[in-house]
Amino acid sequence: MLEIYSSYCFRNPLPSIAVFITLLPLILIVLRKAYLDPSFKLLLVYLIIKLLVDVIMLCSAANHQNNILFFNLAIPVNYAFLGGMFYFKFDSPSLKKGLVASVIVFFAFTAWDIFNSNSEISDLHNHRAVLFAKTVEGVLIITLILLFFYEIIKSLQIPNLLTFPFFWICSGLLLYYSSFIFIAPVLHYTATWKPSVDMGITETIPTIFEIVCALFFSVGIYHFSAADYAKQ
Amino acid sequence: MQNSEELKWALLIASLAMLTMAFCMISFVMYYQKRRFEEEKRISDIEKNYNRMLLDTALNSEETERRRIAQDLHDDIGTMLSLTKLSLNQLSKMVGNSGNEKEDQIMKKSQTLVEETILHVRRITRDLVPTTLERFGLMEAIEEFIHKLEEDNNLAITFQANTDDFPRQGQKLELTLYRIMQELVNNAIKHASCSKIDIRLEINDQMIGLKVTDNGVGFDPEKIKENNLAGLGLLGIESRLAIVNGTVQYEKPEKGGASAFAQIPMMPVSDSKPEPLHPFRRERVNI
Repeated sequence: MLEIYSSYCFRNPLPSIAVFITLLPLILIVLRKAYLDPSFKLLLVYLIIKLLVDVIMLCSAANHQNNILFFNLAIPVNYAFLGGMFYFKFDSPSLKKGLVASVIVFFAFTAWDIFNSNSEISDLHNHRAVLFAKTVEGVLIITLILLFFYEIIKSLQIPNLLTFPFFWICSGLLLYYSSFIFIAPVLHYTATWKPSVDMGITETIPTIFEIVCALFFSVGIYHFSAADYAKQ
Repeated sequence: MQNSEELKWALLIASLAMLTMAFCMISFVMYYQKRRFEEEKRISDIEKNYNRMLLDTALNSEETERRRIAQDLHDDIGTMLSLTKLSLNQLSKMVGNSGNEKEDQIMKKSQTLVEETILHVRRITRDLVPTTLERFGLMEAIEEFIHKLEEDNNLAITFQANTDDFPRQGQKLELTLYRIMQELVNNAIKHASCSKIDIRLEINDQMIGLKVTDNGVGFDPEKIKENNLAGLGLLGIESRLAIVNGTVQYEKPEKGGASAFAQIPMMPVSDSKPEPLHPFRRERVNI
């Protein structure tokens, strides 16, 4: 059994690294006690869920089983946790309200998209990736990041962004979702048993930036100081 | 197949363009934030310098005014009192010759009053302009100040310095330390109900420190600063220190009383000798 997984990992090193590198920010959050900050607590939950989903997907892929269902189901959950992080960082109450509303609406939208993209929902073997939801998730997350950047520039409360943990989290997410935003809708056609389009190296770009994103998360969490947070 | 290749390239280029935009956005936020902070810092520095200049000017004006009053007291009132004393002496001789005892008593009382007034005027003049400070330096000025206080009050004041040969400092620095010492000691006498005051002067390569400790009732500096009138003295100390980049710390020792520790960074002493601070010259003080 272990041989199947190890041989899959050797055959697909980049996606495997992208799965297990999640452990790095996860461990750092615990070690640096970053979970004291509610945003980082949500990031911890997000990373745990992401790791679980990725491991399940890796096992399914190694056993030649369709794992797209997990990819689809993870989309609204990811947005709920990532968006939730911004809930605690925004100052504006109207933005907070809009964020909560967007999470609820996005859950409904993803559910519709899953059904819309799969006419035979019970046929898990031929289950396909959502057509719009992943792209919309990317657009929403990028919007939240830009709004947060606008707020920090406007408030002028952070003297050095390079030592501000959440700036690294935002930068990592911005790079990852920017790399994925154009590829996401194409996955509906390519991530199937019989793909009609071969994306080649383009498909590895989001994987590379998933790793970069995890590294950015780690740098941000490394800069987190529990003592300084307690003083705030 | 042709369409697939084109789509692949299109996606690759679009993704790379999006990534470039993301990188640019992150760099822009960092650059813009840094620039805004630098601008804010520059404005804050200008404001700080302006406030410091205002304070400096206000304190210079205060010193000039003190000198003017001291001069007027000495030159006008002092001279007139001396003449009055002279006239009274002459009159006293005349009254003494007449043999009227009551007139003689009134005359002696008048002479005593005039002499006392002359002494008071001298004391006020010396308090207004610390001539000893500029002539002999900080240690001598503090010793003189203590000596005068001990004469007038039932107080035990001790003064110590970590060196016997205390080098002369710039005029502004010496005057600042002297005025702060004056304010702290006067505060201790007025408000602390203390019987003992300890003044300590410390000097090293970088800093000059002045510590005034008393055994009185103690105080909370923050609460006093909140009270506009009572906090003026402490604010005055902080204002004087702000001009010379100094700091002050207030402590409440465990054994009781209060302690204030002012620190001023050493300033290069100019080669030219300071202008003598003398009440008998009409000149503008420029500290």
